[in-house]
Amino acid sequence: MDINKIKADALVVGGGIAGMQSALDLADQGYQVVLVEKDPSIGGKMIQLSKVFPTLDCCSCITTPKMSAVANHANIQTLTYCEVQSIDNADGHFVAQILKKPRYVDEDDCTGCRQCEYVCPIDVPSVFDLNMTARRAIRVPFSTAVPQLAVLDIENCILCGKCARACPADAVDFTQTAYEIELEVDAIVLATGFETTPIDAKKEYGAGNLHNVIDGLMMERLLAPTGPYARVLRPGDGKEPESIAYVQCAGSRDETLGVEYCSRVCCMYAIKQAMLIAGALPMADITLYYMDIRAFGKGYDQFYQNAQAMGIEFVKGKVAKITEDENQNPVVRVELIDEGQVVERTHDMIVLSVGMVPQYNPGSVYSVGVGEYGFIKSPAPNISSTETNRSGIFATGAATAPMDIVDSIASASAAASGAAAHLEAVQGGN
Amino acid sequence: MEAATSTKVPKILVIATLSGGYAGADYVGQQHLHYATNTSILPVRCPSMFSEDFYINAFEKGIDGIIVMYSGTDSPYKGGPERTAQIIDNTYKQMQERGLNTRRLRLAAICTVCKKPFLKQVKEMNETLDEIGFVQDELAGKGDG
Amino acid sequence: MTETSDLKNEEIKIGVYTCYCGGNISDVVKCEKVADALREMPNVVVSRTNMAMCSDVGQSIIEEDIKSKGLNRVIVGACAPSLHEQTFRGTVSRAGLNPYLYHHVGLREQNSWVHGNNPGEATKKAIRLMLAGLAKARLLKPLDAIKLEAEVHALVIGGGVAGLRSAYDIARRGIRVTLIEKTPFLGGRMAQLETVFPTNNQAREDLHDLIEKVTQHPNITLYTSAEMVGYGGYIGNYEVQIRQQSRGVSGDIAEAALAACTQEIPDEFNYGLTKRKVIYRAYEGCYPSDPAVDWEHYDGKPLDIDGKEVVFENTIKTFDLKVGAIVMATGFNPYEPPKGDYGYGELPEVVTLPQFIRYMGFRESSDELTWNGRPVRDIAVIHCVGSRHVAGVHDPQPDGILNNYCSRVCCTAALHQVNELREEFPQLNVYDFYNDIRTYGLEHEAYYKEASQNMVRFLRFHVDERPEVAAAPAGDTHPVLVKGKDYLTNGLEIEAAVDLVILAVGIIPNPVPELVDLMKIPVGDDRFLLEVHPKLRPVETPVPGVVLAGTAQSPMNIQESCNAASAAAAKVSALLAKGQVILEPFVAKVDLEKCDGTGKCVEVCEYEDAIAVKTITIDGKEVQRAVVTPANCSGCGNCVSACPNKAVEVQGWEVAQFEAMVEALAMEVEA
Ligand SMILES: Cc1cc2nc3c(=O)[nH]c(=O)nc-3n(C[C@H](O)[C@H](O)[C@H](O)COP(=O)(O)OP(=O)(O)OC[C@H]3O[C@@H](n4cnc5c(N)ncnc54)[C@H](O)[C@@H]3O)c2cc1C
Ligand SMILES: Cc1cc2nc3c(=O)[nH]c(=O)nc-3n(C[C@H](O)[C@H](O)[C@H](O)COP(=O)(O)OP(=O)(O)OC[C@H]3O[C@@H](n4cnc5c(N)ncnc54)[C@H](O)[C@@H]3O)c2cc1C
Ligand code: SF4
Repeated sequence: MDINKIKADALVVGGGIAGMQSALDLADQGYQVVLVEKDPSIGGKMIQLSKVFPTLDCCSCITTPKMSAVANHANIQTLTYCEVQSIDNADGHFVAQILKKPRYVDEDDCTGCRQCEYVCPIDVPSVFDLNMTARRAIRVPFSTAVPQLAVLDIENCILCGKCARACPADAVDFTQTAYEIELEVDAIVLATGFETTPIDAKKEYGAGNLHNVIDGLMMERLLAPTGPYARVLRPGDGKEPESIAYVQCAGSRDETLGVEYCSRVCCMYAIKQAMLIAGALPMADITLYYMDIRAFGKGYDQFYQNAQAMGIEFVKGKVAKITEDENQNPVVRVELIDEGQVVERTHDMIVLSVGMVPQYNPGSVYSVGVGEYGFIKSPAPNISSTETNRSGIFATGAATAPMDIVDSIASASAAASGAAAHLEAVQGGN
Repeated sequence: MEAATSTKVPKILVIATLSGGYAGADYVGQQHLHYATNTSILPVRCPSMFSEDFYINAFEKGIDGIIVMYSGTDSPYKGGPERTAQIIDNTYKQMQERGLNTRRLRLAAICTVCKKPFLKQVKEMNETLDEIGFVQDELAGKGDG
Repeated sequence: MTETSDLKNEEIKIGVYTCYCGGNISDVVKCEKVADALREMPNVVVSRTNMAMCSDVGQSIIEEDIKSKGLNRVIVGACAPSLHEQTFRGTVSRAGLNPYLYHHVGLREQNSWVHGNNPGEATKKAIRLMLAGLAKARLLKPLDAIKLEAEVHALVIGGGVAGLRSAYDIARRGIRVTLIEKTPFLGGRMAQLETVFPTNNQAREDLHDLIEKVTQHPNITLYTSAEMVGYGGYIGNYEVQIRQQSRGVSGDIAEAALAACTQEIPDEFNYGLTKRKVIYRAYEGCYPSDPAVDWEHYDGKPLDIDGKEVVFENTIKTFDLKVGAIVMATGFNPYEPPKGDYGYGELPEVVTLPQFIRYMGFRESSDELTWNGRPVRDIAVIHCVGSRHVAGVHDPQPDGILNNYCSRVCCTAALHQVNELREEFPQLNVYDFYNDIRTYGLEHEAYYKEASQNMVRFLRFHVDERPEVAAAPAGDTHPVLVKGKDYLTNGLEIEAAVDLVILAVGIIPNPVPELVDLMKIPVGDDRFLLEVHPKLRPVETPVPGVVLAGTAQSPMNIQESCNAASAAAAKVSALLAKGQVILEPFVAKVDLEKCDGTGKCVEVCEYEDAIAVKTITIDGKEVQRAVVTPANCSGCGNCVSACPNKAVEVQGWEVAQFEAMVEALAMEVEA
């Protein structure tokens, strides 16, 4: 048998929290699922976060068990570092051509022991840590990665061969090439997630050039127990900040950027981060500049009230501009709505509460309809929000609209429900 | 065989929940952090299954210090953490009655990525044991006196 | 399975394997020394090392040893159990051994990786840990996963959009569904809406599409005017009792009865703005289409139908059902302000948003908007009525609980209504008193933008300083004044003279105390039904097999209600599709010889019906003994420590096994 041909019931594209939950819910119902993830590990954005609102659970405590449940599930086959290149319809089935990118490490032999990583002489900025730390050219993507397999980034590799010599399993293989996998399924769930709005999108906020202005995701890394410095420091000079401000709706509800919608999570993550910083740096002043605080979910408004009680300052104001002074301290120019005046305030550090844009355009491969902002659109958003205009293809999570983890998980289970019903209809029971 | 080391070290037993302390200890390992080798960690579902005499027996067998790393408010079990805390409290009383220093037993909530609190617990228990000595001596002292 | 009895007499033969983990362990720990030390121990038949035990080669070695050497216990010292315990359970079970006769020892994360600075001690510690593992292995017992036959049948409680969606999704998976709705009609609150955000579709059109699918599905049985009144059993095997009231009027005389009925009461469908008869349809086009008698209000007097005196009788039917899982979709109520709050109930010009939506639904269309016969030129909308209350500022509800949460749908629903009004009546002037505009969804912000561009005047209050509504002095141009501070204009005092005030009231739970009592489902601080964990198990309750759908859990819009409902369906399907529920065997087990029925275990157990003292017969004698219902037991072990006779154990995690391990750990090890 040709090993590059697989048959399964369902294909889930994207291994973030939404894709993992969809895969688990389908697999738990007895369906064979193939989960395709473009990165070398599953986990999505969630695995990068620190703690999560509104429970302040540590994020890894919620994500890692799901990751290992996916990896160990008898009905789920996970294909990491893979991309779906095309989808055809054949005899009522979907046939996906999947490109397996070369890891330059034999997946069967590698044990994730990291010996290669320890000897590699090349340091490259770590995307996982938003370039705040370095990683090696060959490495296990991050400490809780699933699968625990090394991946070599050939662009930065100097082919010195140190890793190959260090590998006890003889797993490093510089000659590996990409290959194709053909997958036949009857249902597809798209869970391709989101990207944060680029920090350099907004000229008025320094276009990414100000030293001590970071975005929300970078702050997540700074606050994460797995983070770069294991504490909150100014990226500009490594000083402990005494005054930190959040600028809400940075890149959302903003016509000039073409992102007119609300990104739905930024109010809550900013409040969460503010509370975590207040815990880590009890003496720091923390301010949020906002237009509306959208603490709408279960337990969210109470969370907001707790933050107010902790002394975090909420200032209704529109930030017009951010510059920096000679000490690289960011300066905000803000219209204070309650007072009706425009002022300039200097802080040690500013966090832009950036929003969410779609990560992937499914148009050409999956031919599913997207809305005006590129999120995958349902023809019946109220009653069947995870359906797409193509029968048998479903969409979920942040790929369909900005949403938080709670809503992503509900949506993911809903997509699994839809896909299962579709499978039942086309296969007549399994 | 290498020469056996003559200096005796105190023994620490860690009872750690699968949903909390045990995963936390794994996490400390993933980070390649160091702590003393005299600790042995046993996984449990919830320490509420152990009654007071389990701890007393362990001391009598020669375990010098016990850290119970439970899941606190993150516990998946209803009533488990409360019951654990109550049993530990009772155990303290029994320890006092037996002349055992109650500092030999600690209860701490440890989460799956609580590396600092984990290390702190182990370090502090070692410091405590350095100060108060072996359990056998304490038990013997009591027996003599 | 005969294994259990066989093993008792069988000699214990243990295979011990120490993994190098490609150097991860062996770079620090002298694995060969560990293997040597273990090889000497009693019961150890074979002790080996390998570069990677988890590899195919490593696993084959174990399988081969089990077969050729007759091993009946296996321990592997390797990476963390969370990574490969399952793998090796699979390995031993492929070789014919019970998977629970395997024990995993973590030598990497908790040894070599943390003691790289002290290899000598690390090797000793590895031996200690392996000896402890060996001590446990000697006491391992074969266990069987708990398999419970499950009724392939789900009960859905509540016939609103969430209940309907859930029932449809479960049915489509080939599972039988019984849907019960308390009122005589399906649809819940969604039926009371007109056009809805974010689609601007007619609510009842979308709803009827779904109702049609549900009613036509062969797997779904529907009971209206029905409630659950009895409940027992456990996951996979619930026994419930349903009580159904009769519809009262049957097909052929239905129309005549409807026509003949003259007794009227306020119509709850229109929130009391109109009246309806006590024989009624909720609305034209409702489902089921037959009218129903409102037994609560029907005065029992005979009606003259075609010259005959007819008295209607409520014949109540009660019947039992066996179901494997239960979906709670009991929905919400709109908040109703106490009389006098914002002038509600005192000034006729003050209405709630749900009332106003109904008004727009039933009013005769005309070019002019009128209220109580007077033209409406100016309107005030007030947000967060009954929501986001602040302790010390707002009064708690009659039950003492403060509505301190956001109701999530009212902002967008209110702006949607306002936009429609402005479009239909361009002359209308709208004041919108708000604190935060929470148009959070992808398409919601557009409603806010449209309202802003459409000359709606926004005025911002502080949550603890809300606007006040009062009657205007006699002879004023408008009947009502709304006063408040506007923090968009520097706290300016505002007085808006209006013809109508719409209160954007929040969502409060529809209380179901009888069900909560029966089923022991927890209720949160906000009185909504409470999930186990918002992220790990967001639609499950701690009662196994009982799940939540829609606004019974928290405020949600239609999309979110339907997603939650489908999610609930996914959980139910996973549970019931196989006709069997499989649970891990790690549950309490009572030694009937040691147990004397004192019931201390029952006192400390927090799981409903997990352990109970029952009368059973042993050797012809009736005795009191603790009996575990494995399906309800969490395996926490609360009972284990409570039993004065040490008669309870959690299978696979026995105290004796721990004592043996502690003993091994307490010994001095030389290496
Ligand atoms: C700074 C910040 C803080 C946050 N904090 C919280 C919080 O505290 N609480 C909370 O509830 N929510 C929080 N969120 C929101 C949360 O991150 C999202 O709700 C969640 O991650 C969405 O999950 P997802 O699976 O839909 O998308 P993602 O996490 O983006 O996952 C998508 C996955 O799909 C993969 N993928 C993409 N395209 C393809 C392709 N073509 N083929 C194969 N794979 C593909 C990606 O690599 C990724 O693994 C926060 C968000 C941000 C930005
Ligand atoms: C003013 C207002 C405007 C809104 N506008 C919109 C909008 O434009 N767009 C939008 O998406 N959402 C809107 N919503 C929200 C929407 O109404 C809800 O999301 C949706 O109706 C919730 O459905 P549900 O099935 O969860 O609850 P419900 O509709 O309340 O249904 C619950 C059902 O269960 C039945 N029931 C209760 N107890 C029992 C019992 N013990 N036994 C049997 N049956 C029982 C009830 O009779 C009812 O039929 C609006 C809400 C309000 C208040
Ligand atoms: S949705 Fe808007 S009106 Fe409703 S409670 Fe929340 S903030 Fe107030």
